[in-house]
Amino acid sequence: MNRSRRRNCNTVNAASLARWIVVTAFLALAGLSYVYLTLQLYHLGERRKAVENELVSLRTQNDIASAQIAALTSRSALQRRLKEGYLKMVPISEANIVRLTMPARSADDAVQPVANPSGTR
Amino acid sequence: MNRNSRTRCVLLCAGFIGLFSIFSFRLIYLQAIKHDEYAGLAAEKHVHKQIIHAQRGTILDANNEVLADNIPVQTIVADATHLNNREAIVDLVSKELGLPSSQVAEKLSGERRYIIIKREVPEAQAGALREKLRSANLRGIYFEHDATRVYPNGSMLCHVIGFTDFDHRGIQGVEASMEEYLRGQDGFRFIEHNRAGQEIVPYRGQERPSRDGYQVHLTVDLSLQNIVENEIDAAMEEYSPQKATIILMRPQTGEILAIANRPDFDLNLRAEAKPEEMKNRAIIDMMEPGSTFKIVAAAAALNERKLRPDSTIFCENGLWNFGGAALHDHRAFSYLSVRDILVKSSNIGAAKLALSVGEQRFYEYIRRFGFGERTGIELPGEIGGLIRPPQAWSKISITRIPMGHEVGVTPLQMTMAMAVIANGGKLVTPRIIKSITTPEGKTISSLSPVVLRQVISPETSREIGDALRGVVSDRGTAAAAAVPGFTIAGKTGTAQKVDPRGGYEQGKYVVSFAGYLPAEHPEFVGLVVLDDAHTSKPELNYGGLIAGPIFSRVAEKAARYLDLEPHEEIRKAIPVERVEKTTPAERIRKTRPAERIALTNASHH
Repeated sequence: MNRSRRRNCNTVNAASLARWIVVTAFLALAGLSYVYLTLQLYHLGERRKAVENELVSLRTQNDIASAQIAALTSRSALQRRLKEGYLKMVPISEANIVRLTMPARSADDAVQPVANPSGTR
Repeated sequence: MNRNSRTRCVLLCAGFIGLFSIFSFRLIYLQAIKHDEYAGLAAEKHVHKQIIHAQRGTILDANNEVLADNIPVQTIVADATHLNNREAIVDLVSKELGLPSSQVAEKLSGERRYIIIKREVPEAQAGALREKLRSANLRGIYFEHDATRVYPNGSMLCHVIGFTDFDHRGIQGVEASMEEYLRGQDGFRFIEHNRAGQEIVPYRGQERPSRDGYQVHLTVDLSLQNIVENEIDAAMEEYSPQKATIILMRPQTGEILAIANRPDFDLNLRAEAKPEEMKNRAIIDMMEPGSTFKIVAAAAALNERKLRPDSTIFCENGLWNFGGAALHDHRAFSYLSVRDILVKSSNIGAAKLALSVGEQRFYEYIRRFGFGERTGIELPGEIGGLIRPPQAWSKISITRIPMGHEVGVTPLQMTMAMAVIANGGKLVTPRIIKSITTPEGKTISSLSPVVLRQVISPETSREIGDALRGVVSDRGTAAAAAVPGFTIAGKTGTAQKVDPRGGYEQGKYVVSFAGYLPAEHPEFVGLVVLDDAHTSKPELNYGGLIAGPIFSRVAEKAARYLDLEPHEEIRKAIPVERVEKTTPAERIRKTRPAERIALTNASHH
């Protein structure tokens, strides 16, 4: 190699090169992370939507079931079933009702059964 | 570097600086200065306000039995700009929803972005359509969550519960009066869609959650309501009246325990109901009460201390000419005590009681009993009735009003008047709403009884109550209203029906019975009204013979349900009769035929 050629050769600054490599790598990593996180955000958004839909669906099913229970256990439905003969119920006759009379007071200071005054039930 | 090169470099750099400065200024102009304008335009294009619907509150009875509930449904909508295969979508949608394809095609023909194809589609049907659209890769059809109102008990309590319109707004009954609490508050969310019409979740904007409507609890007890409904149905079958009303109320608090009107309608089939069936006759129908109104005249005379319960009044032997017009009694009475005027239901006696008080004071008592004004119950459309001031009375009005003519009252007002007697002279505002709670069960409002005024003294109310016990006895006009084991106080009423063209309709009557049980410490007040009942013989068309027995059956069942303790003296007699294994009603029929007793004692009132 002649002298003039050697003179035109530039020396590589290893520290500077390393710095640039680190900065570039950092920027590349940051960019990739940004893209990855953005995609994750969309992915999580879709999952959130799916979970929301599932919740709505479950709530809907629950509401339908509640409404059906209310309809099937309503008085009208039970009356209808009673008329159809599906339920067998016989009213209790007065002769079969036994009413208990209040026991006589044993002593004034004893524990006494109490009855609610009228109009407070 | 020579000079030319340097100049070129400087010029190039300056050019670049100028160019990028222009870009920068343009960017600043667009991003900062024009930000709001362009953001608005972009939002208009992509952002949609999604409504999060609040669920309407439920209506429950006093024991938390469901009276009105919601069932989820779907509203099928379309965005015409998103449709990717119009013909296939029209075919599929019309087939799945059972709509004519021409109708669907017409709806989807334009470029509108929000087209309602069908409302209230059941979840299962909507789910099937959604799956088929997905499998066929068809776009542009969307499903919105909605709810429709259902009434598990059908026609039971229909006039009280009411119903909602298409927009879920209450338009009758509690649905209308409690609209503010039942409705809830819709929420919203700003969302963006992608090209396929799917939401881009990370771009969600401002969001406000919905607040579901509150639960409204009624004072009505469905068990008592059931008793009343069964009895009113039986009465409709037996007497075929034009209209009928039964009310049960707790006198101390004004709580309505049961209320039923006929004709009625099924709340789930309200589109098929006739206007006549939708009227809550307990509060919007005006009637001449007949002899039940005599309690007002008697209360006024006793409360003013003009007379005592045992003071005697000459009842003109059944015919009295006053003001140029004859006033009749159904039987010839000579002297009757004030008590017996109520027991025997003497028209002449009642007229003389009112005369002893005077027109102005009598009018004041009528108003104090709550007639001529709305009771204030939490139901829409209530009327105040018709009570004319004394200036508008004719010369004979003072003798006709005490027997319940020339006045218009609602069945609820008449029940309230009887409740005054049962409640020691206090007029309490009737209530149908017990409390309002959040869906989680937290009480936000609990209504307390409101005493409007002391109408008559407790002593007077006791005296009237004593007289009303006599009405439901062998001596009175309503022996058939008796309930075995209990003392009942009450008053019958039989008023000739007012002809809308003027005068009265021949042979048509409004029969009623208002009473309470037990007479000593009333647990409930009841009213039975039948308008134009049909009987086999005209002489059987009286309050004591028609409304009285209905009241008796309702009261007996209600007392059993409320577990009221029967009167001691009567209870002792029961074991002797138990050997026969007959029901109390049968025992009464065997020993004292109700119709015969009532016919013997009463008649007209």
